[in-house]
Amino acid sequence: MNQSDSIRTIRLSGELEIGRKDEIREALRRSASDRAVLVDLSDVTYADSVALTELLRFCVSSSRDAIPVALVVRTPQFARIVQYAGLAAAFKNFDDRDAALAYLAQSGAE
Amino acid sequence: MKRVSELRLYCPAQSQYVAPIRHALAAFLEALHLDRSMRDDVTTAAGEALANVVEHAYANSSRIAARDVQLLARLDLGGKLSVDVWDRGEFIRRKPLPGRGFGLRIIRAIAQQLRIDTKRGTCVSMTFGGPALLKKR
Repeated sequence: MNQSDSIRTIRLSGELEIGRKDEIREALRRSASDRAVLVDLSDVTYADSVALTELLRFCVSSSRDAIPVALVVRTPQFARIVQYAGLAAAFKNFDDRDAALAYLAQSGAE
Repeated sequence: MKRVSELRLYCPAQSQYVAPIRHALAAFLEALHLDRSMRDDVTTAAGEALANVVEHAYANSSRIAARDVQLLARLDLGGKLSVDVWDRGEFIRRKPLPGRGFGLRIIRAIAQQLRIDTKRGTCVSMTFGGPALLKKR
């Protein structure tokens, strides 16, 4: 996990599924110093509803505190499961890191 | 009904077995020459059914000694693919909580048909494909 003054990056990789629930929850723990968060899922190859629930919990909690969150997603399976779950509007997804950082900067992180 | 291919897996209903079962199912579907997006969708739906078993099936069933799960995948000659996920536990119908309960929603979005039989344990039966599936092979 990398942390800068303005944008914190949380990087998750591999298969995000029920067997890694505790690890995912721990990685997505809120920090009092957060001003904006980039969740980099570029190297995620699979996600299930357990992972989506943890991501949703993190995004909703951040949103309550006006902390913008952007997701970098490159896996088609992840994009589809988000659609199937009816959560397309719940996440700010980008297919590259620069676009996600630009969104966070526009949202007042920098 | 003639069956051209079948995969049957059986293991304890524990979270560490979900990924290996899903990988085995993906390999089975690859051997059947299903395309990548179809394989992903079927394994995603099966993964959700398996995760439901791990999280809920035996939560209120302390008297059940054999806490296991079985997956049966089969492709018939008509091109219909079915995946059944069965456990011995108790199916609990509850109101979905906000921000929870996406598993069945995802399965419903992917599967052509979904049937949940709770007579002896719980069997989640999903069917996929038909002629469209055959075209993709």
